Amino acid sequence: MADIRADHHRLLLEAIIQPTSLIGYDNRQWELLLRLARRARLSGYLAAKLENDGLLDNIPVRAANLLRSSLIQVKKQQQSVSWELNRVMWVLREHEIPVIVLKGMAYLLQDLPNASGRMFADLDLLAPQENLGQIESGLLKKGWRHHALTDYDERYYREWSHEIPALVHPERSVEVDVHHTLSSPLGKLKIDPLPFREAAVKVKDAGVYVLSPEDMVLHCAVNLFQNNELADDLRHLLDFHEMLLFFSSQQPFFQKKLIERANQLGLGNPLFYSLYFSRLLLQSMIPEDLEKQLDRQPAWFARRIMHHCVPLALLPQHPDHPSRIAGYARMWLYWRSHWLRMPLYRLLPHLVYKFYLSVFPTRAGTSKQK
Amino acid sequence: MKVEQLSLDIFRTLITGSGLRVKAGPFNLSIQTCLSSLIDQLYWMYSHYSLVDETEIAEFHVRIIPKHSIRRPLAQFIQFQIDGRSPFPPVPAEQALATLEWGINLAIAMRINHLLLFHSAAVERNGHVLLLPAWPGSGKTTLCTALMYRGYRLFSDEFGLMDPRSGEFLPLPRLMPLKNQSIEVIRDYLPEAVLGPEIHGTLKGTVAHVRPPQESIERADETAKPRWIVFPKWLADAAVRLEPLPRSEAFLLLASNAFNYEVLGETAFNAVTRLIQNCECRKLIYSDFDSALAVLDELTTDG
Amino acid sequence: MNNLISGFDGIYWYPNSSLLRIEEWDGEFTVFQPESGKTHFLNEMGLRILTVLDRSPATLEAICQELSAYFSLQLDAQFPGQIIRTLQRYEALGLITRVKENE
Repeated sequence: MADIRADHHRLLLEAIIQPTSLIGYDNRQWELLLRLARRARLSGYLAAKLENDGLLDNIPVRAANLLRSSLIQVKKQQQSVSWELNRVMWVLREHEIPVIVLKGMAYLLQDLPNASGRMFADLDLLAPQENLGQIESGLLKKGWRHHALTDYDERYYREWSHEIPALVHPERSVEVDVHHTLSSPLGKLKIDPLPFREAAVKVKDAGVYVLSPEDMVLHCAVNLFQNNELADDLRHLLDFHEMLLFFSSQQPFFQKKLIERANQLGLGNPLFYSLYFSRLLLQSMIPEDLEKQLDRQPAWFARRIMHHCVPLALLPQHPDHPSRIAGYARMWLYWRSHWLRMPLYRLLPHLVYKFYLSVFPTRAGTSKQK
Repeated sequence: MKVEQLSLDIFRTLITGSGLRVKAGPFNLSIQTCLSSLIDQLYWMYSHYSLVDETEIAEFHVRIIPKHSIRRPLAQFIQFQIDGRSPFPPVPAEQALATLEWGINLAIAMRINHLLLFHSAAVERNGHVLLLPAWPGSGKTTLCTALMYRGYRLFSDEFGLMDPRSGEFLPLPRLMPLKNQSIEVIRDYLPEAVLGPEIHGTLKGTVAHVRPPQESIERADETAKPRWIVFPKWLADAAVRLEPLPRSEAFLLLASNAFNYEVLGETAFNAVTRLIQNCECRKLIYSDFDSALAVLDELTTDG
Repeated sequence: MNNLISGFDGIYWYPNSSLLRIEEWDGEFTVFQPESGKTHFLNEMGLRILTVLDRSPATLEAICQELSAYFSLQLDAQFPGQIIRTLQRYEALGLITRVKENE
């Protein structure tokens, strides 16, 4: 594992695993750490940890200023998304639509340990497919607008992907993503949203639902190893790690229930990788044989490749000395994520079109707005 | 030690190697490039800046790198990078200096929230800060340049940096980009002003930078309290007028143009409230520098 | 006028938060809304509406009467329409909420 032993990776991981060790960092270490944390979008997370421990005044003042700056920004983002949820629920107050809040906002609603200092800019919601039209027209009537989309993108969203195009209120500019499934309907792994919706739990006083603890952890794993490209995605592995620890400490048989739920829903693969890599990178205290109880596990060969590639993608590149090998690993994982999300006959034209756009950005089809 | 105390060779070794580290107001910059035209320009334009030791933390790490354009393979293009990322598309190599300065400003505006960042020029006279906020037609950089050569100490032509806890303003003397007609106006009015090369074809037209005076850089750690807020407006052939500005309007203009007013939330609301309560708010209409300077001198002289 | 008001029969408005921060600048007001983090700029009439509602939830008719008494205004046909638009704007901003009498 030469990759994990890279100095800059060790610097970042130590800071995350043991934030109190930051007190001993010299200025050079701080400078590099701050740049890495920004890349990994974890500066708010580190700032919140140090603030909670009352340590922000015990570190170099320039580092503290940058961390405070990130924390102020994160708190504003969290307020903006919370307020957006308030406004969306105001629009939907008269329809009895069960709305499930996903990802960052869901963590915040329940005050999970990974929520403090966590950066997120979008509001992700899950609703029954038959209610999507109602939600969309309700929001459009109250001033929300679709992002300017090319015809191609619009078709991609509506037909091939699993969302209605993102909605934004022009006075607030928080993206509202309304999903009806938890993964691409074209993807190799079919995920039926119904059991997730049935197990969802009501949030006190908020009039909305969140996924059950097991499903929330599973959804995080699915996003990481099924939907995402993994590049600079350490923060999502950290979500998984923190939630797993938190729920395990709250419920005696949480890990057992998690495995059972993954087996029941056929989500063994993403959970396997999430457990494996949070133990490898974040030193999660997970029993060695936990993932062996999964019905579905990745094949030995796939596991070997992932073992070498995933850390190179999750962990940020050195800002001044990017490694070529990490670049290849990231490219491979990019292809893998698209491969998992789309059949080849859709994937190839999609990637060709995206490449064409990267060369000729001005030639994207007519822009449709409002 | 200052940039001007280095030989050009050593300067080149630093900036092409691990980066030239200089102090700009409250921030340390690390600048790296191999583009020789830019190196020569920076050696001259940054001559008064102090060098920063490797053992001090630099907040911003920027680079200008050569870039090949797939669409125009023969032209020489460059790209701005911060922490190894490129937020803007490549531009012709002649625009390197403007792109670098603009990129650093953008990075400050995007990343700094422990200070409130007003979009405003700021100068100091008699121990107090005069803010000249940006609004359409303000020509704040041009007016700021004129003030700077007539006894006012430069804080910044772009950022009013305010510590929301103490209410103090912090200097951030950087190169000041004059645009289009302002370049000739300043050359005529202030032949002693030190200007960089004229850079044509940028997003904002032709740009030439004014080098900040040595004193403003040497005293960059001396903060000051604000006392006057003047919204300037240049109007052809207008007789000079310095009129009171309703305080609610001053609040609205300052807050809506600030880079991070919304991000700072209640802290910013309190800071702007206090700022408006403690300052005289005016609107300045002028067509020539002499009369504008006369009324500003009068405003900033009395008790 | 009667048509307009009757469309809002039995609807009361009340403020969402009593934590608004308000600063006065010679008859104009800056209002900070902590839940959204937004600053609103209001004139005297705009602020008076919030003050009326802060005392107790009120119907459109009651608000109009309060305002006309306070500012010594003669109620004309356009007035309730203007107030309705302000109330709807405040509602969208999350400053106030409406409730039907029987709920």
